[in-house]
Amino acid sequence: MADWHKILVAVDDSSLSEQVLNYVGEVVGGIDKVEICLLHVYPEPPPYYFTEKHTLQEYREEKETASLKIFSRAGKVLESHAIVGTRITTSCLMATGKTFSKTILQVQKDGGFGTVVLGKRGISKAEEFLFGSVSNAVIRESHEFTVWVVS
Amino acid sequence: MPKTLEDIPQHIVSLYKAHPVSSSIRRKPRVYEDTSNFSSIDYGDVIVADNRYFLVTGYTVEGRFGVDDQPKQWVPKVVDLESGVSHILKLVFHEVFSVSVGSFTIPCYRSPEKEARILELTADHARFMKGKAVEDEAGNLVRILDIISGRRLDKHIYRHECSHEEYFASYLPGILKEYIECAKAISFLHHAGFRHGDIRRDHILVEYDTGTFRWIDFDYEFYLPERPFALDLFELGNLLMYLVVRGNYQPQEIFDDPRLGQKVLDTITPDDLSLLSRNRVVNLQKLFPYIPDGMNNVFMHFSQGASVWYDTVDELVEDVEQAAAFL
Repeated sequence: MADWHKILVAVDDSSLSEQVLNYVGEVVGGIDKVEICLLHVYPEPPPYYFTEKHTLQEYREEKETASLKIFSRAGKVLESHAIVGTRITTSCLMATGKTFSKTILQVQKDGGFGTVVLGKRGISKAEEFLFGSVSNAVIRESHEFTVWVVS
Repeated sequence: MPKTLEDIPQHIVSLYKAHPVSSSIRRKPRVYEDTSNFSSIDYGDVIVADNRYFLVTGYTVEGRFGVDDQPKQWVPKVVDLESGVSHILKLVFHEVFSVSVGSFTIPCYRSPEKEARILELTADHARFMKGKAVEDEAGNLVRILDIISGRRLDKHIYRHECSHEEYFASYLPGILKEYIECAKAISFLHHAGFRHGDIRRDHILVEYDTGTFRWIDFDYEFYLPERPFALDLFELGNLLMYLVVRGNYQPQEIFDDPRLGQKVLDTITPDDLSLLSRNRVVNLQKLFPYIPDGMNNVFMHFSQGASVWYDTVDELVEDVEQAAAFL
């Protein structure tokens, strides 16, 4: 079992992410051993993006610039729970050739994170069938680590 | 600028002039080495690709259900002037549009590159149309497709005038055998990272001479990053149900059918309806009580009442194979 104090938190620009961070902050705010990695995963550009004369480089830059704002806001939320910046790292990744859930699972594995924290939107069965649920997919594949799902 | 017949080899001009199409056009035919502006290419023109000269003899039509067929100018019917063999060409048409699936809208587009890669991947696979992709002078990916001598699947299942009971008992087992092979072919694509993208009942052709079911048209692509194969799976489920009951059943059709009517309609609950197409009944055993439980259970994976659904085509195939064994 990986060390649960190593926590991977998936974030985006939604208000749900803020709830997730507040939850994490309240639970682990006073614990010194905690290390938090904020992970922002974004999808590959839809292929028609390229037919509109855009480049992959442009797309990545746009997403990475957006992630800086996400990380900055997330850091402030965690700091409000007494989690200092030195305990926080960030990672912004494109889900290249795989789904969001598989990208998160890969980061968990590579980084040896013992806890993965995700938000869960309330979605219908039909939405879940068609568009998928990242949290359900991560839970299904979770072995040797803990998943916190905040909804 | 397109060229003229004067710009191409004399023996090709002779072949052109000997073809019946040449005598029916009243203008100077054009020769296109660049197909970018496909809408200007007309009947009687020549397209040059793969160092071959293709005479345009017509256009394929869009077979949308309930709508008059529309000619697809980017998909001309052609004949290779030297070999005399007929083909279908698919020219590059970068169309972006949305498809509605139930109450959802999914961004969709045509991808000549994807179709070209699938043609290459499935070159030796019996369940797919055959062809090759080449670049024209301007780098457009022209797909040169072999013509399948066959009938659309939705017409094939109605070729025998018989009751549903007779169809179910006599013809469906053979049809399901072919369906299963086609579903396995889609699994083959998925394992290679591709989707079909436009699974529908008229995108399978049934060969006249062998009865083999074969997939056509792979250029649709859509954008579902977390569940990339969900739409193919859903459409395979719809196709299975269509084949088993020879149609789609919505509440109005049940009401109008004297064999079913209000009495059966009253038994239909929201859980019996399709997960995504909420006006389509998938609990078809209520309409056709002789459908075995195993087959109906497969259908119910696509219902609003489903608590689990198929994640892969392999899972679907396994269940359909088991259910088909009881027919």
